[in-house]
Amino acid sequence: MIRFNNVHKWFKDLHVLNGIDLQVAQGEVVVVCGPSGSGKSTMIRTVNQLESINEGEIWVDGKNVADPKTDLNALRAEVGFVFQHFNLYPHLSVLDNITLSPIKVKGMDKAAADKQAVALLERVGLAHKKDAFPAQLSGGQQQRVAIARGLAMEPRVMLFDEPTSALDPEMIGEVLKVMKDLAESGMTMMVVTHEMGFAREVADRVVFIDHGKIVEQAPPEEFFKNPQHERAQQFLRQLLTPMS
Amino acid sequence: MRFTTRLLTTAVIASAFAAPAMAEGTLDKIKSSGVIVLGHRDASIPFSYLANDPTKPIGYSHDLQLKVVEAVKKQLKMPNLQVRYNLVTSQTRIPLVQNGTVDLECGSTTNNLERQKQVAFSVGIFEIGTRLLTAKTSGIKDFPDLKGKNVVTTAGTTSERLLKAMNAEKQMGMNIISAKDHGESFLMLESGRAVAFMMDDALLYGEMAKAKNPGNWVVTGKPQSFEIYGCMMRKEDPAFKKVVDDALKATFKSGEVNKIYSKWFMAPVPPKGLNLNFPMSDEFKSLVAKPTDKSAEEM
Amino acid sequence: MNYNWDWNIFFKSTGIGSEIYLDWFVSGLGWTIAVALVAWIIALLLGSVLGVMRTLPGKALPAIATGYVELFRNVPLLVQLFMWYFVVPDYLPEPLQTWFKQDLNPATSAYVSVVVCLALFTAARVCEQVRTGIQALPKGQSAAALAVGFSIGQTYRHVLLPQAFRIIIPPLTSEFLNIFKNSSVASLIGLMELLAQTKQTAEFSANIFEAFTLATVIYFVLNMSLMALMNLVEKKVRIPGMMGGAK
Ligand SMILES: Nc1ncnc2c1ncn2[C@@H]1O[C@H](COP(=O)(O)OP(=O)(O)OP(=O)(O)O)[C@@H](O)[C@H]1O
Ligand SMILES: [Mg+2]
Repeated sequence: MIRFNNVHKWFKDLHVLNGIDLQVAQGEVVVVCGPSGSGKSTMIRTVNQLESINEGEIWVDGKNVADPKTDLNALRAEVGFVFQHFNLYPHLSVLDNITLSPIKVKGMDKAAADKQAVALLERVGLAHKKDAFPAQLSGGQQQRVAIARGLAMEPRVMLFDEPTSALDPEMIGEVLKVMKDLAESGMTMMVVTHEMGFAREVADRVVFIDHGKIVEQAPPEEFFKNPQHERAQQFLRQLLTPMS
Repeated sequence: MRFTTRLLTTAVIASAFAAPAMAEGTLDKIKSSGVIVLGHRDASIPFSYLANDPTKPIGYSHDLQLKVVEAVKKQLKMPNLQVRYNLVTSQTRIPLVQNGTVDLECGSTTNNLERQKQVAFSVGIFEIGTRLLTAKTSGIKDFPDLKGKNVVTTAGTTSERLLKAMNAEKQMGMNIISAKDHGESFLMLESGRAVAFMMDDALLYGEMAKAKNPGNWVVTGKPQSFEIYGCMMRKEDPAFKKVVDDALKATFKSGEVNKIYSKWFMAPVPPKGLNLNFPMSDEFKSLVAKPTDKSAEEM
Repeated sequence: MNYNWDWNIFFKSTGIGSEIYLDWFVSGLGWTIAVALVAWIIALLLGSVLGVMRTLPGKALPAIATGYVELFRNVPLLVQLFMWYFVVPDYLPEPLQTWFKQDLNPATSAYVSVVVCLALFTAARVCEQVRTGIQALPKGQSAAALAVGFSIGQTYRHVLLPQAFRIIIPPLTSEFLNIFKNSSVASLIGLMELLAQTKQTAEFSANIFEAFTLATVIYFVLNMSLMALMNLVEKKVRIPGMMGGAK
């Protein structure tokens, strides 16, 4: 479904992605973790070309995303993306946030789009908020709407970039639950997160990235029980030590 | 907007503070302050304008104004009377005289009934006729030839009013352009936007003298009105008005006015050394012979 | 001050046809509104396009828009007006030139010049407001829009501009008021808008203070009505849940 072949990216002198090789199969859930600044966000954003790459190839659903001939808008319509800071459109109601792209990109008619949106809102437990505006929702609710918005395009892949790290602790659970349901429904997912509970429970594979390089990837039990790489061990130790 | 607000503020302040100053006559005021304030224009060529010295006006009207100053000195026995200059525009000249800032304004101000309600006029110092400036090749000889044509005049002048009234009464179908000053009116004429420029003949001669090819242009048409220019001072101040009028009359009577006239209308004048070549009209000659402070409409 | 006040002056005959001075003010106000409104609509459309251009990726389009802004913001309005009225028509092809300068009613050609002048001048200022508005939005907004498959055009149309315009309503309001004030430059090329009619009344009647007082009152009421209108617009588009609307 997704394949990285020796991907490199530079921000000026900074070598952010240093030869990424990775495959994500259909229906697979891959959790990406690593220290801050290691290039996780950059990597996941290259999948739908919110960031361009300088070298290598990325294939998504049989299309080379870096090829100038690829229709990026069509590709992005098939890849859902959930941001750390939700990025809902503040000037639109919850319902309109979800229906905007199906109507404008896919040409879906308003009634059908509304119906679909209500169904999605039910799925994330927010049907009663369809007429609210983003500023009237809590962070957890906003992120669930953002997931519904991504799903409204009926994507084949969902990408998540730290979807819970901007949330108050008591709201993290509700978002993770939605993501878990989604994984169980068979969605292909790539998730940047430090929620190790989620990784253990839901992921098929954990990928550890450091300095723009994948230094370790393994099924979650193996990764948590027996990390091979020194940096991964250090990372897990820090993560498990309660914050002071 | 800002300009109008400022004007309004001036009005309010002026009416609040200037009133007491008016209790005394202008002569008393001059005597106690030792200064006479002369109002002048910056570009009324050759009547009152600034040329080489930005602090001191020159011109035909200004020379007559200085005659008045001489008379005031004599009358008050103040040979060292100081003269201060105050620049006025067509919008500020009346209020500045009224509120006591300016004691005497001599420029190119037409004496008319509306203005007589606000200020007093001296005996006439000049008389013009309102006529047309046009290209020699335009085929325009007189006002009836203007039917359906574009005609320019300067905003706020009597010519503008006459032209608009003529257009309405005789249904001439003219398109009247009101330009912001005489220079711009002439530009409208020169650039082909208008076929003729209606204005005071003296000013038309002035514009013609400034043109690239003065020979291409001609002043034509039967004067639509005669207008008498006068010096302005405050109303209800007979003592001062008498000094002003007597000084001007004496200049007329002695024939000195002819010398001053020739200096400004029949010889090269600063700053460019233009010669207006505008001989004294019969109307003005009779005004000099029989001075009056009436407006042309009253005569 | 021995000024001769006469507030009835506005109901007195101007001596031209059957007009009274008040008619002049009414017609002047009409021209002022006609100049300002039409110029504003053009300025808003053109300024928005330019503002968007300045925020686009790439080099050429932002550079063009920047050049436009520098040119039109730094040349004084009066100079621009004289360019549009006296200089540009001289460079029109011949039949058009004669038509514009001679056949067209002079009020119409002055109107066209002043509308073009004010529209292009104000567009440069609107452009800067729109650019600021767009740049004030969180980066994530365009990313979120692109991520669902919107084209650049759709991203601006549906996501960025509706938010940017809400942010810039206050500065746009002051540009809107400015264009009414700036429309008084029209008097300098002979268009008889409100200021020109005021000056004419002052000259003809010699009731200077009454004329300028009435003009001040009219400009003031006009200003207040426009501000009330814009407040209404701002309230109408206010986003629920955001304190004080989109601030
Ligand atoms: N647009 C950009 N221009 C320049 N440098 C950037 C840009 N975006 C990210 N970087 C830099 O690239 C490096 C990787 O950033 P990235 O956001 O991918 O890290 P991350 O692993 O997601 O970190 P975090 O856990 O803090 O989110 C960082 O050093 C960051 O400062
Ligand atoms: Mg990140």
